[in-house]
Amino acid sequence: MIILFLSSGLFLGWTLGANDAANIFGSAVGSRMLSFTRAAVIASIFVILGAVLQGSGASDTLGRLGSVNAIGGAFTVALAAGITVYMMTKAGLPVSTTQAIVGAIIGWNIFTNNAVDSASLTQIVSTWITGPIIGALFAYVLYHLIKVIRRRIKVHLLFYESYIRTGLLITGAFGAFSLGANNIANVMGVFVPSIPLGETDFGIFTLTGPQQLFFLGGIAIAAGIITYSKKVIQTLGNNLLELTPEAALVVVLAQALVLFIFSSAALSRLVAATGLPPIPLVPVSSSQVIVGAILGVGVYKGVRNINLKVLGSIASGWVTTPVAAGLLSFFLLFFVKNLFGIEVGHSINPPAASGEGMSIAMVIRYSIIFLLVIIASYLAYMVLSERKKTNRLKNSFYK
Amino acid sequence: MSLFTRTTNELAARVDEFFDTIEIGVLIFKEGVKAYVNGDQDAFQTHLKKIDEHESKADKLHRGIENDMIVHSILPQQRSDIVKLLWQLDEIIDTAKSSLNEFYIEMPRIPASLVHDFVSLAEVSGNAAEELIPAARAFFREPHLVREKLIKVYFFEKETDKSSFSLKKKVFHDMSELTLAEKAHLRYITHHIESISDRAQDAADMLASMAIRQML
Repeated sequence: MIILFLSSGLFLGWTLGANDAANIFGSAVGSRMLSFTRAAVIASIFVILGAVLQGSGASDTLGRLGSVNAIGGAFTVALAAGITVYMMTKAGLPVSTTQAIVGAIIGWNIFTNNAVDSASLTQIVSTWITGPIIGALFAYVLYHLIKVIRRRIKVHLLFYESYIRTGLLITGAFGAFSLGANNIANVMGVFVPSIPLGETDFGIFTLTGPQQLFFLGGIAIAAGIITYSKKVIQTLGNNLLELTPEAALVVVLAQALVLFIFSSAALSRLVAATGLPPIPLVPVSSSQVIVGAILGVGVYKGVRNINLKVLGSIASGWVTTPVAAGLLSFFLLFFVKNLFGIEVGHSINPPAASGEGMSIAMVIRYSIIFLLVIIASYLAYMVLSERKKTNRLKNSFYK
Repeated sequence: MSLFTRTTNELAARVDEFFDTIEIGVLIFKEGVKAYVNGDQDAFQTHLKKIDEHESKADKLHRGIENDMIVHSILPQQRSDIVKLLWQLDEIIDTAKSSLNEFYIEMPRIPASLVHDFVSLAEVSGNAAEELIPAARAFFREPHLVREKLIKVYFFEKETDKSSFSLKKKVFHDMSELTLAEKAHLRYITHHIESISDRAQDAADMLASMAIRQML
């Protein structure tokens, strides 16, 4: 019975594997730098390792947003997120599993009369914006670094290519690990409170209850990678900017670093120990971080060949995906509860009693912050692009 | 991974060998023209034989490099450009060989007053091709240096045009003792020697755009 309820989460994991693995190895496989089989095997192993070893941090944050306390509710929430991802992908709209699951959990909160933990929501939503921005910064710096190193070491193009190829394998493995660590919360996070599994001793290692769920979720992601990501890689391509292998390496590394930062409890503790505020451990959208990273490389190269429509559609996805998933979750919960008589959860923290629900004022405040960030990013992008164009004209190849 | 490194090592060595072959081929061409116009037939025959060997070697290397790049999926995104560049470099030695063969088959009579002009034309035309090789090598190691190395190619190509123009003008305007057939023949030979620098310029144009893309 548990497996039946878990099926929606496993489906969500499968879609995540099919779509997001394309971000990690897509460019390398698409440009035939790596074979799909080798990429898929490495991604599958490391995504499971990441999920099991480092998946709990982001999952805890999602749990604070809404602790789905009945397995029927967890099933419905994951199903709503899965359907939203599937439908929006079918319709060609930008979608993120992270945003879908957050919207679906808020839908559950509203349905079961639980307060939305505004602190967790703020943390999560802020990383949707900061994630791509940090990704862009990392990519810009890393790309600059790689270019400087290339110039300094004067390595033969053929050897350089072989290093890049090896680098793509290593960063791909790191990217898969970070994807598993960060995004397993989307797949299995909602099931953690409602499926209390005990510790299992495997002789040489022990897995906690959540880790066992993450292992299953990891396998679902791996299944998505092996069975469907090749098709996604072949059909999707890079609609934002044509990537060279070295740019692909930088983009994947930047994405992996961002996902790692937002999922590593050890790193968060280390930062906290220095007196700085701890890094929030939240699931971030790997696709959107990738887009940020590609933008970072694009800005470095000169931004004329970037498809700006894609950026606009991502920003719209920040709103449309959670709203769609939230509405769907609410209606599905209604049907599951009233039509099938399945328990979907109960109120443990009503908004009126706790007073922690999202007020209109807060929504407006975050909307303003969000708009300011967008405007600042756009201005920075314009300034950088103009500077780059001017420099390029100055250093025109033919004088 | 060790197999992969060995392939890369071998391929890099073969690319360098290909460049060496083209470079030596151009030097042989210059010496061959010099030997012919100075009437040293033995030296000319030796150079003719040597350039034939080098041209065959360049062809083999070119085909081998292309084959390895495809089989081992090396530089997939730049492969077609690199193969095309190698093909254009191969064209240079092909043109040099066919130029010396024209001398051998058609045995043009070079008037004594034009010996210096022909040697000079072969020298500048060959220089354009010779200067291309360091630029091509730089593309693989230091693409940012390609531009400055190509300046010499363009310079020598222009010099070749000037030399060729003045030689042809001299033949048709100042040498009334030659028949029209002889004049036309000398023009044809001039054009052949000149075409080496034209091939070098074509390759240089391609190399320039490849270097820009590499630096982005």
